[in-house]
Amino acid sequence: MTYIGAEEIISPLGQNIQENFKSVCENRSGISLVTEAGFNKEDIYLAKIIADAGIFKFEFLLIKILQNLSAQIDPSCISSDKTIVIISSTKGDLDRNIADPFEPSLSAIVQKFKLANQPIVVSNACISGVLAINAANNYIESGFYEHAIVIGCDVISDFVLFGFQSLFAVSAEPCAPFDKNRNGISLGEGCSAVVLSKTKEIFKNAPLALLSGTSANDANHISGPSRTGEGLYRTVKKTLEQNDISADSIDFISAHGTATVFNDEMEAIAFDRLGMSTVPLNSLKGYFGHTLGAAGVIETAISMQMMRNDLLVKSLGYSEPGTSNSLNITTENQSSEINTILKTASGFGGCNASLVLRKL
Amino acid sequence: MSFITAYCHIGEDICTVNGAVFLQKKQDVTDSWFKQLYKELAIEYPKFYKMDMLAQAGFIGSELIKKVSPDLSTRYQDDEIALLFANQQSSADADIRFQDSYLEKKSPSPSLFVYTLPNIVLGEIAIRNKWFGENMFAVFPKFAPEFIIQYGSILLKTGSKAVLAGWLGVLDGKVEVSLFLIGEKGDDGIPFNKENLIKCADLRDQA
Repeated sequence: MTYIGAEEIISPLGQNIQENFKSVCENRSGISLVTEAGFNKEDIYLAKIIADAGIFKFEFLLIKILQNLSAQIDPSCISSDKTIVIISSTKGDLDRNIADPFEPSLSAIVQKFKLANQPIVVSNACISGVLAINAANNYIESGFYEHAIVIGCDVISDFVLFGFQSLFAVSAEPCAPFDKNRNGISLGEGCSAVVLSKTKEIFKNAPLALLSGTSANDANHISGPSRTGEGLYRTVKKTLEQNDISADSIDFISAHGTATVFNDEMEAIAFDRLGMSTVPLNSLKGYFGHTLGAAGVIETAISMQMMRNDLLVKSLGYSEPGTSNSLNITTENQSSEINTILKTASGFGGCNASLVLRKL
Repeated sequence: MSFITAYCHIGEDICTVNGAVFLQKKQDVTDSWFKQLYKELAIEYPKFYKMDMLAQAGFIGSELIKKVSPDLSTRYQDDEIALLFANQQSSADADIRFQDSYLEKKSPSPSLFVYTLPNIVLGEIAIRNKWFGENMFAVFPKFAPEFIIQYGSILLKTGSKAVLAGWLGVLDGKVEVSLFLIGEKGDDGIPFNKENLIKCADLRDQA
């Protein structure tokens, strides 16, 4: 077990964790119609950060989130040689240098925050965030580092939007995860961070516990979800087994729920196979859009806030069941004791990952 | 203790497996370097032709490793082989091609877009071999042997029995690719440490 805390988010819903969680509790969405954003100048629903972030938004967000973090932990941890910084991102600052999308921004934070170790970039499609948190945990448990800062960040670009448009995967309405009428994703952008440590005392607010997580590949298709949910089924099963947790001790599932027809169907099949179809569940994509490499960290951060507040947050955008296996989707905010949350993610390349958060 | 039980290297014009030459690039043919290697491997896998350069590099590397490790798929369960890959350029080679499809050709190509994530190569190898194990793709400014050593040993401690690791430097026609199969105690091979990894990697410009 590793301590996890100091969760932070910058997104269209706010500049820090308090503003973001307040917006989520009020069931407000960061998704809005952006005029002429599409390839054919069509209007597109996006969760875009409007506030001025300068020319290099990706670098700006990394710096801003580390500044937010430094108020939440013993700030000397950031530059400690016992700390590893792991960035999860699919495209980094692609518009700045397509042939080298991470290095300029990484150099900037290494210099500004005097990071002692070369940061690691985990770029593993939409599971990057969950995988980066699991990797950070593994590094600490194996004794390579004492603390880890995981930052998930991706920004909206023409590149990614036009790509998803070319796959006909962009929703004409704000995305509706798990709903009968869902028809694609709404892209989002944001930056989120969590801190992991062996030491409870570095956190200004009491941390939670992170149990070791796993990943698994579907071995099925590079861009289509498995029809049996095999990889998701396997990673959740492995994560639960290696922590000796039964499916019925999970109080809540923070699912991936992109709102594409096939992804959400795949998740419903996997949770059914796992005997978890009655566990309360949400997708946070209706609030933040799909933030790709940031998604796993943003959703872990919100899950941590849900646990701290014992509040199940409504799955925004859902109204009618729309998967062949039923799920227990949270349709209204609801006070409920939450001791254990399962967070899952799935992505292109057939990858799936999961982790478990617990109250101390 | 863990061991490097097989390794291969694909450079600009020579490919070696466990240090022995597998193929020299022929200059008088129209086939790309990776296509020459594919043909030399004498396997039937038409999907190879659909893959981008990064996926072709990882695919060929994994087939070369299998060639000298014939019991790989029977020896381990389908989720016991972890895939641990890294490079400097992420998926830049495919990214530049996709960007060209919408900026120059005015038609964003979905078949190029699906390769604009570096971990797609892991999916291709997983599909080819029906491997359901752990996956990780990471990006570093230069060859990162410490990462492969540290995270490789973590994977072996957390349930994986073997790790297929690799550095996949592919951009703009330049090729610098090294793959390693790492096994746990009981396997024969070269001790899995930084010095040996650098030696096996044979990355002239990087290490």
